[in-house]
Amino acid sequence: MATLGDLERSVMTLLWDGGESLSANEVRDRLDEDLAVTTVLTVLSRLEKKSMVARERSTRPHRYSATASREEHTVEMLNEVLGTASDREAVLARFIGGISDAEAAALRRMLDSE
Amino acid sequence: MIPLAVFLAALALVLAVVLPPLISRARFRTRSPWAAMLLWQAVALAGGLSLIGAPLVYGLSPFGATLHTALATMLELLVAGDFAALVGLHVHPAHVFALCLAVLLGLHLLLTLLRTYVRVLASRRRHRDLVRLLSTPADRTDAAGPHAELGEDVAHVIEHEAPLAYCLPGRTGGRSLTVVSRGLLDQLSPEELSAVVAHERTHLQQRHHLLTMAFDAWYRALPWLPTTRHGREAVLELTEMLADDGALRGHSRTALLRSLALSSSEAGEDDAGTGAAHRAQGATSGAGGTVITTARLQRLLVPPPALPRSAVVAVVLASATLLAGPTAVLLVV
Repeated sequence: MATLGDLERSVMTLLWDGGESLSANEVRDRLDEDLAVTTVLTVLSRLEKKSMVARERSTRPHRYSATASREEHTVEMLNEVLGTASDREAVLARFIGGISDAEAAALRRMLDSE
Repeated sequence: MIPLAVFLAALALVLAVVLPPLISRARFRTRSPWAAMLLWQAVALAGGLSLIGAPLVYGLSPFGATLHTALATMLELLVAGDFAALVGLHVHPAHVFALCLAVLLGLHLLLTLLRTYVRVLASRRRHRDLVRLLSTPADRTDAAGPHAELGEDVAHVIEHEAPLAYCLPGRTGGRSLTVVSRGLLDQLSPEELSAVVAHERTHLQQRHHLLTMAFDAWYRALPWLPTTRHGREAVLELTEMLADDGALRGHSRTALLRSLALSSSEAGEDDAGTGAAHRAQGATSGAGGTVITTARLQRLLVPPPALPRSAVVAVVLASATLLAGPTAVLLVV
């Protein structure tokens, strides 16, 4: 049994790869799993709350699309890890950050010569 | 009460200006990072208390002989709105100013801490959502490739070529995530990767994000005070040393060093480019090797002897005194 997290991932993959807006029924039809439309709607509204998908309300049925591409979200995520000090508080990401490239290169030479 | 206010002001000066540069350079921090961490936390707390306490005690001095009675009298007058009594008590505008300063400073520090906490929680939630949607848990699929035997060291893999490893703390251990990038997986051997994951797990297990958050908040609250920046940097450095020590409990020094060397952003490229970079930095020495200056790397390369027990006891006692001092003064007097 797939968890909600797995379903969210599948739905996002569908929206990212398809590149078009889909209705809940279309999402259900394209998913491998056999799901109720209500489940798909739950997943879509969770994703909407996370501002991962946008809902087009002018049409019936409502159509859903990804707010940004996979790459754009990855960049957003990495900016927080590699970005300026002020927005790095959320993650502990100094494993590499504290060491300069020059020192890392020196370390590599040192380890290689052993 | 005036001598007390002077004492607190002097203490605040020592704790906020004199001590921090000394501690952030002190050699003992590499020999016992946790002792240095304890000292930093004590210095920050005691510094904050005396910084607020000094103007508070000075401002209350005309209202009574002891802090307790003075505070009671002042609050009584304030509630009654009896401002005429201030003249009789010889309350100078400077006293009123000091009281306002103490209250504002206290509120500023508390509210900044609260705001930092709320903001960090929100951005962590957002980041966790993104990781969950964009990554594959290394244990679930064959995403980890040759690293599939990581077993219970579950890490999330994000598809990006930059070599990265980091952790995302959650309120409960189960919501915490360790994230590694595809770029890092491709560079490291299973043993090296497992050392990296152990490093990140130590951060999470020892709740390092709580130790650094207060320092993040103080820096945000008082960015013009150089100490807050130094303190933040020093505490971050100490958490890395502590996490290294955690990783070394189950992994070899070489594996950890190799993973550090390989996960730099230029790893895998030809060394010619980085060679030029060192020369530009003027950091070359002898046979073309860069001097390793980062304390964290130095202590991994040449492990310093452990701090003698007597020194550890001294640091613990000093931290306890620092914490108890201003608190006792404010509560008892």
